[in-house]
Amino acid sequence: MSLKTIWVIDDDPIYQIIVSKIISKSELFLSFSSFENGKIAIDTLKKMLDKNEVLPNIILLDINMPIMDGWEFMDEMVLLKSKINNPIQIYIVSSSIALEDKNKAKEYPEIIAYLSKPITTNDLILIAASN
Amino acid sequence: MKIKNNKYIDWFLTKPKTTGFIIFLILIVGVAFTIFQRIQIIRENEHRAMRSTLENLHQNIDQSLKNCYTTTLTLALTINDNGTPENFDSISAQLIASNNSISAVQLVPNGIIKYIYPLKGNESALNLNLFNTPSVKYEALKSIANKKMYFAGPLVLKQGGIGIVGRLPVYKKNKFWGFSAVVIKFQDLLRISGIKSIDTTKYYFQFSKRNPNTQKEDFFLPIQKDVYKNEQISTIIPDGNWKLYLIAKKQIYYYSDLYIPSILGFISALLLGVFVTILLNKPKQLQQLVSIQEKMIFDNEIKFKTIFDRAPVGIALVDANTGGFLEINSKFCELIGYSEEEMKTKDYQSITHPKDLLSNELVATELQEGKISEYKLKKRYITKFGKIIWTNLIVTSLSKANKKLNTNISIVEDITLQHQILEDLKKNEKQFKSLFKSSPIPLWEVDLSLVKNYLRDLNLINKSSIKVTSYFEQNPEVVRKCFSLVKITAVNYKCLQLLNITTKNELIANLEQVLHTDTLNDFIKQLIAIIENDNQLAYDTKIINSNGEAIDIHFTWNVIKGHEKTFERVIISTEDITSRKRHEKLIIDSRKKVESLINTIDGIVWECDIETFTFTFVSKKVEQILGYTSEEWINEPDFWKNHIHPEDRDWALEYCSLKTKELSNHDFEYRMICKSGAVIWLRDMVNINFRNGKAVSLEGIMIDITKSKNIENELSNSFNLVSKQNERLLNFSYIISHNLRSHTSNIASIISLIKASENEQEKRQLMELLISVSDLLNETMVHLNEVINIRTNIGLATEQLNLKDFADNATKIFSKQLLSEEVVIRNLIPQKTTIIYNPAYLESILYNIISNAIKYSHPDRKTIITLKWLKGKDKNILQISDNGIGIDLVKNGNKIFGLYKTFTNAPNSKGVGLFITKNQIEAMGGTITVESESNEGTTFKIEIL
Repeated sequence: MSLKTIWVIDDDPIYQIIVSKIISKSELFLSFSSFENGKIAIDTLKKMLDKNEVLPNIILLDINMPIMDGWEFMDEMVLLKSKINNPIQIYIVSSSIALEDKNKAKEYPEIIAYLSKPITTNDLILIAASN
Repeated sequence: MKIKNNKYIDWFLTKPKTTGFIIFLILIVGVAFTIFQRIQIIRENEHRAMRSTLENLHQNIDQSLKNCYTTTLTLALTINDNGTPENFDSISAQLIASNNSISAVQLVPNGIIKYIYPLKGNESALNLNLFNTPSVKYEALKSIANKKMYFAGPLVLKQGGIGIVGRLPVYKKNKFWGFSAVVIKFQDLLRISGIKSIDTTKYYFQFSKRNPNTQKEDFFLPIQKDVYKNEQISTIIPDGNWKLYLIAKKQIYYYSDLYIPSILGFISALLLGVFVTILLNKPKQLQQLVSIQEKMIFDNEIKFKTIFDRAPVGIALVDANTGGFLEINSKFCELIGYSEEEMKTKDYQSITHPKDLLSNELVATELQEGKISEYKLKKRYITKFGKIIWTNLIVTSLSKANKKLNTNISIVEDITLQHQILEDLKKNEKQFKSLFKSSPIPLWEVDLSLVKNYLRDLNLINKSSIKVTSYFEQNPEVVRKCFSLVKITAVNYKCLQLLNITTKNELIANLEQVLHTDTLNDFIKQLIAIIENDNQLAYDTKIINSNGEAIDIHFTWNVIKGHEKTFERVIISTEDITSRKRHEKLIIDSRKKVESLINTIDGIVWECDIETFTFTFVSKKVEQILGYTSEEWINEPDFWKNHIHPEDRDWALEYCSLKTKELSNHDFEYRMICKSGAVIWLRDMVNINFRNGKAVSLEGIMIDITKSKNIENELSNSFNLVSKQNERLLNFSYIISHNLRSHTSNIASIISLIKASENEQEKRQLMELLISVSDLLNETMVHLNEVINIRTNIGLATEQLNLKDFADNATKIFSKQLLSEEVVIRNLIPQKTTIIYNPAYLESILYNIISNAIKYSHPDRKTIITLKWLKGKDKNILQISDNGIGIDLVKNGNKIFGLYKTFTNAPNSKGVGLFITKNQIEAMGGTITVESESNEGTTFKIEIL
């Protein structure tokens, strides 16, 4: 099992710190990148596609973000889908427990699962294992 | 052959005109031929006469010329051998004397006239050389050539006049000596010829000679014009080369003798032709007469035959003795059903109905005995098929007209149908009688003819009914009189029963008694009907029976057919309707009861036609509920449709039509407009009304449900309010849980990291992180507390505020930005604007919106914030607009007033301000809306009550 790259898209700086620590401690992933909102992440993704770079394998996506939220990011991803060779596994990681968010997540086939915060090492192990 | 001849003769006989004409032609040809023959003979005779005359003339001239020859010869003898004449004068004198035709003699030696006797008068001719004179030279030479005497001329003589010169060439010793010549005057020649004796009425004489020089024929006598070229004869005198003509004059008289015979011949031919024609015509006319009469006879026969055969009645010749049929026409055969041949083998007895046979034979015998000449009988025959037919029979004896003929002629008319009708009529009358008698309705048959006559005498017939009515009302005695003239023909048992009278006569005697006061008034109706010739009449009235009890009756009055003019037979029925009247009253009473009951119902009870929705009944309650009377409703065909609330009309009508079509009872609610213009809610419960299984009408009740409807509306409003609140609460709880969870989850994560940390430094780092999370959590708690405070502040303190001043004060907090001239705030609120508001909230609202505007100002331009006061009809608006970066409302519209919603990456945007603002405005009972355009600016509108 080769190690994979993982992206975290979340506007909460503290969460970013926590996640980076958990990921580095788990040693399950090859590399880790974090983005403040969907807009920065999607722009980066587009650039990598243009340069034909290796895309991330897994994305952990928050819903409520300024500029571009999780759903808007997903809509952009759907548009890019045809250009991506190896499908990216997307997980929603949100503190929202609203049912409508969970239901909406099911509308996107690209979304593998809906995870509630806090995220644990066990969750990461499962994510890594399922890929 | 003979036949053939006869045929020709017949041909002539049958064509008298042609024959007459042919005979005329033949005769006329004969006459013409005879006349022609006669003409020929006359002509020949004439010719002969002319010939002899001419011959005569010729001979005379010939004679004279011969004499001249003798003279010249004698004169020549006077010439001696020397060639000199001797004794010329004396001999010449003798010669001239002996020949009176000669006027002179000459001797012409060598062509030169040397000697002339008598010289006197002829001197001019002396010494004329003939051979040198061209006019005579040719003829002179001719006589030399012929060696004969030749007469030249007639020519113009030198010595004057016209004459002829006869020259005899004289030879001496066989040598031409000269000429011995005589001169004859032309007149003398003609005289001698005897021309004068010619009948000049008949002929002309002409004398011609071919001119020796010109070779043309010269005529010496005047040329007549009226000559027949053909009718001329001529002869030639060679001695002078002359030609004599005798020419017949145009001689009509030739044929004058023939005119009369010709005409006579023509006339007689004509007469004969006509006579023959007339003679031949006679038999032809006779023949025609015969054929016309033949045809007439034939026609008559055909007519008779046709009448006999085609007559619509049966006709037969019957042997008077035996009764056998001799001749019979087709109608008779048709009536009886046998063929003509079959009938001829029968006699009348065999086909007569046995019941009529005796009476028939009786009269037949009388006829045969001569007691009567004819008889008429209504009798029955039995047809071949056994059917009985009724006939009118007339039998006439022919024996009177012709004693030898012992035959009768029978004429039979089929009257079966008439007989049947008569029988039916009798039967009908009988039926009518029995019906009349046993009718369960009281019936009268009356004779009103006397009444009618009386009315006619009063001169009331055909007067206007109004006049007549008033007349009768003023003259009740006339009405009484009329009533007394009513003649009762018959009454039935039921009638007597009704009146409680035993016999008809009793009724007639006491007719006045049955009259009720009303009855008499109603009798006027009958009189008017009579006056107006109405044959039918019906009305309800009263009659009085013998006990003096008034009985309600239905009176009908029918004139029997055929008596419409006279009113002789009128059938009256007086049906007892006492019980009907009683029932009617009961029905009316119960209807009234129902109606009053209906009118007490607290709702509009109605009934309408199922097809047209035309209302037939609307209870009085309508006046209380809608303000309209039930009459107003019923009189306007589309009242219901027109008074339904316009918003409900279409669906209500559609729903009602649909349900009615399905024949299902229904129940629906809609609004109607009252007379006052007010809107009321009605619940309409509709039932389909069936009669004999067929849906005929709709009936229902409309109940005023305005009150309950209003309550329902209020309930619904408060329900909406509660649901909204509930929704907001739920929303709020989500927000709280979300905001708190993000912190708690962070705390949980940090703690688990701390537990798993392996060195102190890391632990310390995590602890610091934990502290900052704790601070954030605290901050969030403060915010939430604030929001909850706003929401729970129901009885919020308010005061009157001057909006402009208040806004000016509130903006002082931004004095730093205002002073640096980065921001301009334009306060356009009118000076005297006052509002009732919570000052803390108002300050917070103004602060939040203005600080937002400054926070999201456009980097390229100076920020301008404008405050306006918009006064509306029932709401006032505080409008705050800026020219900042704006918000994409399509994307973010629903989130803009949410908690912790930020749309930019601005470091100080927290997503709390607008959430609180919105809550504050709503707590004051207002609303906030936003209009924005990216890069253009944002406008907030705050509704202030």
